[in-house]
Order: sequence, then structure tokens, then C-alpha cells
Amino acid sequence: MGYALTLLPFVLVLFVYMGASDIRLAENPSDKILPAPSTIVATAERLVGEPDKRSGEILFWNDTGISLVRLALGVGIAALTGLVAGLLIGLFPYMRSTFSGFVAVLSMVPPLAVLPILFIAFGLGEVSKVALIAIGITPFLIRDLSQRTVEIPSEQIVKAQTLGASSLAIALRVVLPQLLPRLIQGVRLALGPAWLFLIAAEAIAAEAGLGYRIFLVRRYLAMDIILTYVAWITFLAFIIDLLLRSAGRRLFPWSEPAGGSGL
Amino acid sequence: MSYVTVTDLHKTYAGFPILERVNLSVEKGTFVSIVGASGCGKSTFLRLLLAQERPTRGEITIDGQPPALEPNRDRGIVFQRYSVFGHMTVRENLIAAEALGATVWGVLPSRARRKAAEDVADAALERIGLAHMGKAYPASLSGGMQQRLAIAQSLIAKPRILLLDEPFGALDPGTRASMHDFLLEIKAEWDMTVFMVTHDLSEGFKLGDRVLVFDKVRWDPHEPHAYGATVTYDFDARNGGIPFQSLSIETVEEITV
Amino acid sequence: MKKSILSIVTAGSIALCSALGVSSAQAEEKTSFKVAWSIYVGWMPWGYLDSSGIMDKWAEKYGIDVEIVQVNDYIESINLYTAGGFDGVSATNMDTLSIPSAGGVDTTALIVGDYSDGNDAVILKGAGDLSSLKGMPVNLVELSVSHYLLARGLDSVGLSEKDLGGVINTSDADMIAAYATDEVKAVVTWNPLVSEIMQQPGATKVFDSSNVPGEIIDIMMVNTETLADNPAFGKALVGAWYELMGIMSSDTDEGKAVRTAMAEASGTDLAGYDAQLASTEMFYDPAAAVAFTESADLPKTMVHVAQFLFDKGILGEGAPSPDFVGVSYPDGSVTGDPNNVKLRFDSSYMKMAADGSL
Repeated sequence: MGYALTLLPFVLVLFVYMGASDIRLAENPSDKILPAPSTIVATAERLVGEPDKRSGEILFWNDTGISLVRLALGVGIAALTGLVAGLLIGLFPYMRSTFSGFVAVLSMVPPLAVLPILFIAFGLGEVSKVALIAIGITPFLIRDLSQRTVEIPSEQIVKAQTLGASSLAIALRVVLPQLLPRLIQGVRLALGPAWLFLIAAEAIAAEAGLGYRIFLVRRYLAMDIILTYVAWITFLAFIIDLLLRSAGRRLFPWSEPAGGSGL
Repeated sequence: MSYVTVTDLHKTYAGFPILERVNLSVEKGTFVSIVGASGCGKSTFLRLLLAQERPTRGEITIDGQPPALEPNRDRGIVFQRYSVFGHMTVRENLIAAEALGATVWGVLPSRARRKAAEDVADAALERIGLAHMGKAYPASLSGGMQQRLAIAQSLIAKPRILLLDEPFGALDPGTRASMHDFLLEIKAEWDMTVFMVTHDLSEGFKLGDRVLVFDKVRWDPHEPHAYGATVTYDFDARNGGIPFQSLSIETVEEITV
Repeated sequence: MKKSILSIVTAGSIALCSALGVSSAQAEEKTSFKVAWSIYVGWMPWGYLDSSGIMDKWAEKYGIDVEIVQVNDYIESINLYTAGGFDGVSATNMDTLSIPSAGGVDTTALIVGDYSDGNDAVILKGAGDLSSLKGMPVNLVELSVSHYLLARGLDSVGLSEKDLGGVINTSDADMIAAYATDEVKAVVTWNPLVSEIMQQPGATKVFDSSNVPGEIIDIMMVNTETLADNPAFGKALVGAWYELMGIMSSDTDEGKAVRTAMAEASGTDLAGYDAQLASTEMFYDPAAAVAFTESADLPKTMVHVAQFLFDKGILGEGAPSPDFVGVSYPDGSVTGDPNNVKLRFDSSYMKMAADGSL
């Protein structure tokens, strides 16, 4: 029953789509806007199975691989920067007074608005795409993790000091391990914007990638391809979130909240 | 011979005196209970002992050492909450008591040291009755178990003084009574010099060799913050809590109320 | 319960369809019409027709109502038209063939407004000619008229896209910033970006649309069925357009004022706009537009375009050959599949303007 209720909204949306698609296709059999589900499935099969005539590669997997590498690099760099900076800003008051205002202002800058600067600074290639993702989500992660660091009870820090721990030992053995599960949570929240920045970067200048393909075929309204890619991106995002959640649970069993897991 | 010496201690926050003219001399092996109304400066005094804060004037010396600038291994502490590390298992918490201060990285430098720390931890687990919980995380322990672990963790570091900041405040009365017994046993075993802040007067007398009462000696109703607190009563509480001075039990209970 | 879910689904489908404008694509007689346009040198008159009231005057004359809507994104405006949200749209011959026509929306070229005569260009950073593109990456809006122009250019020197160091899809909005970066060696783009980039030191124009005149054509496209059922719609649009063309092309103060207004609307000044017009072959005279539409060169151009679109896979998976979509011409001839004519060049309305019968 639980599963049935979970599925219900999906099934409803599917039926609404099928109905609308039928109506449009009855009107114009070549309609591209709401392709029939069977067309989408056929397109999807072709996309995942048939190599491109020109390059001999299967564009779908090629796009997926390239986009995932960009996403992983961007998010990875942001996570590492966010972790180190968040820890330093949260743990050391003079770092906090120096940088927290700066980071707060920085996080308000819409990264897409300064894209031309990114191009000049990082060029048009892979670096600028990774940089856009990293720059887009790092301020959020720094703020989140520094806030989480501040929230670690001061009793823990004092306790570690009475056990003779140096500042480095406190950072590495007391604060850092407690930040890691929060980092996973932060990354899970940041992944939505990260995908957005990835697709935006690929829309602007690229030769391959999931966002590139979507914006390219949009020029001839190939909704069957776009919808396949959209479904695939949604699925990837869902799987990545699931993996992060279960990794967090397995690696940091002590951080599991007592209540339900939420979304 | 005075082990902990407090000389003309003053502490002021933003111009308001909290503590003033505190002088104290404590022998090694004494269990000192610190009581008083809330806001009387007893927690401030504990933080000064801990060296978490520094006095505005005067100094605290332990065993003739120069005054500390921040918390160190000379001082063990058990707070009411958050005294153990939630991300380490029970056993790891006890090993960390040795490891955190062993190197600048907070890890034990050699296999031999590691083995020794594990042996100490296992013995302590046995002693505090948590041998079966070694692999558990503190969150799955009861409040009493967590405090026993915190005390054991502090003692493994062999501090010169052990500071307890309302350690049993969050426990239910039954658990608290058994923790009292545990603490008394530990104290006898280790011959520790202990300072315990509590708002429970009977607990203070039950456990302490000495009971210090903090209060303000001067009071200006127009300026309630004009004067700081100091030690107003100093009881000898040995022999089951009979006051050292010629105060009756009734008087003591009056203070409680 | 089952019935109520079914009714929700049905209602949802109908709502989704009406949101996508199915009903307006249906042929019927109506009195209110919407056309979309986007900013481009040859289409600025549409904005002026709207703001000056000339469109309203002509619509009133034929007893209808025409709304002219500016859409910021060119491709989006064509997509909206294809979805049925508009009765007409300003578009190039190539994009019309690839989007609405290949998508089954029967479309008529009502007003052939101009063709690009240098507005689209291949620009090299530094010295060289077309053949220096060999092994070089080229930044452009992929699958656009820029891409077509590049293909035509490469063809003329015996190269093909395979000989390049790749084409990199680059948004037109970011083309100038992209050109400023080191790794960009060559770009293909359109005005006003071309004149902007040509101002940079070292920029060399190696090929432009004046080398293939009359192949990139800017047209007001309208839905064929809507036009057939509502000739007044076509007459009002054509009448208004050529009234403005007369004013715009005149060397009078009024003509200058009109061009100044268009210049400002496109973010430049009169001199800048006149410079763009110089590389645009505007058909101010309806007779010239009719002659162009009826010329024998047009079918040749459209065959080129169809071949390019097919090579790039733009005609869709269902397209077995470049001839998949049929294109008809004023003399009744057809290129491509005569059973699937979805793009029609119709000079009859422009002829009415030329004859002064509107």
C-alpha cells in the first residue's frame, strides 16, 4: 500500500502526459513537443545503444561520462575547500572575524552573472566548467560547515584540551570527524545547484555533455531526446543522493539521528 | 602543604565584578564541593580553575606550577553534557585520552604505545562496568553510563586536579545515587584532588571533604552588579557532612532553601 | 475512485494541451492573432509596427486584431510558434525548415523581408584565410545559420567539418567574452556581434554571407492553415509591413526618425544600425521581394539547406533523406517530398502590396 501511494503521483503524471500527447499527435502526427512514450522509448534505445555515425562513440554514454567527471571535480573541489575553510573559520575566532563577512557576501554573488570573468580567468575549456560548479556551491558549503563547526559544543574542545590535544589534534581528531557527516549532508543539498551550474556551463560553451546535448537539440525541438536526457539526469541525481545517504549511514553510524531519515 | 593555592582572585566581565578577593588553599587529595545560588560565580571559579578563562587579578597555582594559560593535561574535566566524543566508540574514547595528547597530530606514535593505551582502556572499561559496551557509540549509552565513561576518560589522563561541573545534574535521582557511590569509590582508589560544582547542597556535603559556599558579601540594592562574590562559608564536611564551623544542621538546611 | 482518477487524468491532459496551445493551431476563422519576433537587424520593423500603431491601423482596416510580441530568445520564439502559441514568427528559412516544418507544422513564408549580405561571418583571430581553419577549433552556435555558413565556406575551399579541430557550441550571448579568451581561435557569428568582434585588433573576416548571397533569408512565417482560413491576417501584416518599408527606406527626416527608433530598440545608434543595414539586403520594395521569391535560385538554396540539416541529423530520426520535408514555390514546383509539403513560399500577398491592391 505504501509503495502504491508513492507511485500514484508518478502514474498520474504519466497518464496526463500520455493523454496530452495523444491529443496533440492526433492533431499533427509529426508533433515534436509531446512525443508519444513509445517514441521516447525508441529514441532512448537508440541513444544508449547506437554509436554516432561521425565519431563512432555512443554519444549518450560519452555525454554522461564527461558530465559526471565535471560534476565530480566541481563538487569535490568545493567539498574539500568548504571543509577546510569551514573548519578554520568555525574553529578559530580570528579567522571567523576576518572571513565570515567576506564569505557571506561572496555567497550572494550569482555565479552565472560573472561568467565572462570566469572565461577570462579560466578559459573556455574544462577548467571554467568545473570552476563554475565549484564557485557556485563553495560559499554555501563554507557557510554551512563553519556554522556546523561553531555548533560543536565547546565542552568537546575543552575536554580535548584537558587531554593534552594540540589545536591541530583538535581540528583533525575532534572537529573534522564530526564535520564529515555534515559535509555529506551539505553536498547532498548542494547537488541540485551543482547540476544547474553544470548544465548552464555546458549550455554556454561545450563539445559534449548532458547539458550540451539538451541545449543543442533544443534548436530543432527534439523533445524525445530532451525528455530522455531529463529522465536520465533525474535518475542520476537520485542515485547519487541515495549513494551519499547510504555512505553517510555506513561511514558515520554515530551520526544517525534518532528519528526518521526525512527526505 | 597547600596543593592548590588561590591568591587574591578577581574576575570582571565588562566592568562588572563577578568574583572578588577569593583566597583559598586546598590540600592534595581533598574533594572540594562548591555550592551557591545561581549567578554567584561558582561556575566562573571552575572555569578559572580549568584555565578556560584567565583571572582579571590574582592567580591560581597547582602543585607550585606557574598559572596555566589554557586548559591542559593537569586538569581533568567532566561537564554535565558533551563530555565524551560522540564520533568515537566507548573504547576509542578511552584510548583517545592517551592518544590526543601523545603527538601534535593527536595519534599514538608507536604500536607499543597503542597497545598500552588499549590495555589501560580495557581495564577502565572493566572497572566502570562497560566492558560489554566497548564497541558502542556514546549516543546509545544511558546518561549515567556516559558520565562514568567521561570520568574514566578524564582519570586516564592522570590530571593533577579533577573538575566536575554539575556532573550529575542531568541524571535521575536513582542513577545519581549510584553515581555518588561510584565517584566515592574512584576517589578512594585514585586519591584525587577534586573540585565539584553542584547546586545540590546535600550532594555537596555527601561527597565533599570541604564545602565552599560562594555568595556576595556586599549588596547594593540599587546596583545589584556592583560587587562580586567570594567564598562566604568554608565547611569541613568529613564525618558525614558535619559542619566544621559551629553551624547547626538546621542552618545548613536554611541555606539550601 | 477509478472514475475520479480517470477524470483527473483527462482534465490534466486537456489542461496540458491548452497550455501548449493546441486549440490555436486548429484551423478556424478568428479575429485575433499573435505574431512573435526577436531582436535582429531585419526584424526591428516589427517592434516599430507595434509601438507606432501602424499595425493596429491595418488590423482595424481588415476588422481583426494583431498582437506583436517580442520574445527575447530567438529559438524560443520559434519553439513557441511551433507549439501553437503564435500564429506567426520571424525566422530564417533554415530554422523554419528544421523546427516547425520538420515538426509537422505547415508554415507559409508570408513576407520575405531580407537576406543576409555580410551580417553572418567567419572571423579568424589573426591573419589567414578560410583554409587556415584546418585543424583549428571553431566556436559557434551549433546547428544555427552560422554552422550552415561555415559548412558553405569550408565547401568552397574543399574542406569539411572533419578537417577542423572541432566545433564548440558557444552561446551567442557569451560569444564576445569567449572571443576574448586565449583558446578561441576562430568564431562564426552574426551581427551585431560581428561588428563588435571586428573592432578587436587582429580580427580577420575570412568568409561572410555576402559570399553566398540570398541563402540566409529572414522571413515572417505564418501558420498555413490560419492564413488560408483568414486571408485578412495576411493582408494586414503585409500592408503594415510595406507601409513601414516605404517610410524606413526614404531619405527623409521621417525615415531617419524611424531608423533611429529601431536603432535604439536594438541597443545601438543610427550609424551602427545603418552599418548593419548595409550588410543586409532589405526588400523595401515588395516587387523585389516577389522577384526574389519567384527566382530559380531559391529552390537551389533550399536544397542546400535541406542537405545540411539532414547531414547534421536535424531533420529528425524519422527523416530517411534530405527530401523528407517538401518545400513548395510560387510557381507550384516542389523540392523534397511532394506528399509532405510543410514549407510554402507564397508571393501572392507580397504581390498585392506591389500592385497596391491592399
